Amino acid sequence: MINKILRVVTVLPGILFVVIGVGWIIDPASAAAGVGMPLLEGVGRSTQIGDLGSFFLTMGLLILVGVTTLERAWFYPPMMLLGLAAMFRLVAWLVHGAALAGSMIAVEIIVTALLYVATIRLCEKRSA
Amino acid sequence: MKQIATKSLKSSALAPPAFLFLTFLFLGMDAVAVKAAQQPNIILILADDLGFTDIAPYGSEISTPSLTALANEGIRFTNYHTAASCASSRAMLLTGVDNHRAGVSNIPEAIPPGLSAFDNYRGVLGNNVVTVATLLEDAGYHTYMAGKWHLGKERHQLPSRRGFERTVAMADTGADNWEQKPYIPIYKKANWFADGEEMELPEDFYSSRFLIDKTIEFIDSNHEDGQPFFAYVPFQAVHIPVQAPQDFIDRYMGVYDTGWERLRQDRLAKAVGLGVVGEGTEMVDMSTTQDWDALSDDRKRYESKRMAVYGGMIEAMDFHIGRLIEHLKTTGQYENTLLIFTSDNGTEVSGPTDPSRVPAQIFLRNQGYTSEYETLGLKGSFNSISPSFASASASPLAFYKFYAGEGGLRVPLIIAGQSVLNKGELNHALSHVTDITPTILSLAGVKAPDGRFGGRPIEAMIGRDLMPIIRGDVDRVYAEDETIGYEVGGNAALFRGDYKIVMNRAPVGDRLWHLYNIVSDPGETEDLADAMPERMQLMLRAYDQYVLENGVLPVPVDYKQVSQVGINGLREVYGKQMLVLLVSMLILVIFLVVARSITRR
Repeated sequence: MINKILRVVTVLPGILFVVIGVGWIIDPASAAAGVGMPLLEGVGRSTQIGDLGSFFLTMGLLILVGVTTLERAWFYPPMMLLGLAAMFRLVAWLVHGAALAGSMIAVEIIVTALLYVATIRLCEKRSA
Repeated sequence: MKQIATKSLKSSALAPPAFLFLTFLFLGMDAVAVKAAQQPNIILILADDLGFTDIAPYGSEISTPSLTALANEGIRFTNYHTAASCASSRAMLLTGVDNHRAGVSNIPEAIPPGLSAFDNYRGVLGNNVVTVATLLEDAGYHTYMAGKWHLGKERHQLPSRRGFERTVAMADTGADNWEQKPYIPIYKKANWFADGEEMELPEDFYSSRFLIDKTIEFIDSNHEDGQPFFAYVPFQAVHIPVQAPQDFIDRYMGVYDTGWERLRQDRLAKAVGLGVVGEGTEMVDMSTTQDWDALSDDRKRYESKRMAVYGGMIEAMDFHIGRLIEHLKTTGQYENTLLIFTSDNGTEVSGPTDPSRVPAQIFLRNQGYTSEYETLGLKGSFNSISPSFASASASPLAFYKFYAGEGGLRVPLIIAGQSVLNKGELNHALSHVTDITPTILSLAGVKAPDGRFGGRPIEAMIGRDLMPIIRGDVDRVYAEDETIGYEVGGNAALFRGDYKIVMNRAPVGDRLWHLYNIVSDPGETEDLADAMPERMQLMLRAYDQYVLENGVLPVPVDYKQVSQVGINGLREVYGKQMLVLLVSMLILVIFLVVARSITRR
């Protein structure tokens, strides 16, 4: 039962990241506003839409593949992406004068932890 | 002046070339100065959603001393018609061209998707028309605008690109009167622009005061150069949300305690007494008017205050018009200024009928509004009048805004100034919103373009110059057999002499054509279609011709203007989000199918 709940809870950020990724393609202005940045012009806009769109969409789909196959290798890339994103946000705050994005860091750490628990609980069960 | 000019020319005949040049230069400047001195300043004041008897000179109990003074110094038109929807009216008002030809067949927010692909159904002022402001600016006028625009909100569609030299413009259907805030969820923000750039409203903003302050500021900025000005002041008053300063509201507390039926009767009596409508004018009982006596005491108290705020908002507008007039007098400009006052359409009924109901409360709270009795009409409060009081506001006419009944189309028109010879008189002849631009041009001595402007073809004006009426030369500018067609949102009419055919759609109309004599029966109580079948057929054929000539397209069978505004608004605000969700769902479904097929192997 707990594993079923865990599976459902793990699916949710996967779906959320897919929606955010699609948002970058269809409505980049709103997507940019959602992560606290303006929509840039020229190459900057291309980078925003291309990189961030693919980042979120890929991460979301990897989580969904992981939950579907219960193979832990699929969880590692999103865990690395989210974990490093949280870490780099701290570096940005400490070294480069960025604002401390506390709520975003918290979300990234929580989802990373959730994915880690999923690799332990769900993938171990499958191995067993 | 002619004598002086001739003498100067003669004396310069033997002068050296430099002196000759200077003489011609000064003569030229002199001629411009003479023309400028002869050209009057013109102020066009447009109220928003003001009903036929909402001001004292037309029979209102609402105190409007500034407009009463204008009426006494000018002429009141009692058979003046506009469109029943604001943007269409404004397009005709500023161009003299039929709204369908000017690109504004309806407000953009109400155009059904199937029609929005057509050029004349975009709801923004087309480039095939030229505004009165452009023509006056070309003729040496300073041109100012402060108020609601609603003819396009893209940068190239703003009034600063349509002939207005200085502007403060609100681009939407309406907005809050106390702060920079959208009044309905179809807008993400209230779109205000100053000289074509986005602007922030001041902290102490109240719409009527602010718009007159800006108008005075614009007028003063060029006062010394001697050029005449044209100022367009389209108020937000009394569009929803109906809001007013407390001291103005207080003056009407208790005035409406006897209800809407009594008010409709009282206004009819006053309008008859003033000669605005004839003796024996009858009224229809509107199906949307509730039984006042059946209401609870609390509800009566609330409805009375809703109308008190409405009265306060109109008086506040009048007060600020008075400030503008006083400023013109103290700066010595009043004598050479002609003022035109009118409304864009009849009374608004779009607010919630009963704000205490759950759907209305959800809507209001979503917009950050309250509707409590104590603070009604103040900052943070959303107020409107119900269809019942709207019919009283349009008394003695039938229907109101959006509908082609007289209550939607017939509004006050006052033209006042030195050029008006028959001061204080009423004119009962048919006049139309497209007449305003030709009249202003005539006053300014500016010739209307004849089919081309700026090297491109433009639509010809259909309106008539009202100056012959204003000078007292004639009683009417439309002959008995001339027609004026009208259509907005499927509600249609055609005027011919004293008669009008009209068709109103659901939910209030019956979708049938009716024939009325709107001079003897402005209340549209007696359908003459059966009694005058030949006239009816003649006018129906004329309407068909109007449809063909002006590119009028049929609206969908189940079209309802207010509902369409809601649908279009949701599409505008949430359309992309819905698409994002749909595409995401599609991706997830594909993913699920692929994943299942893989795991089954």
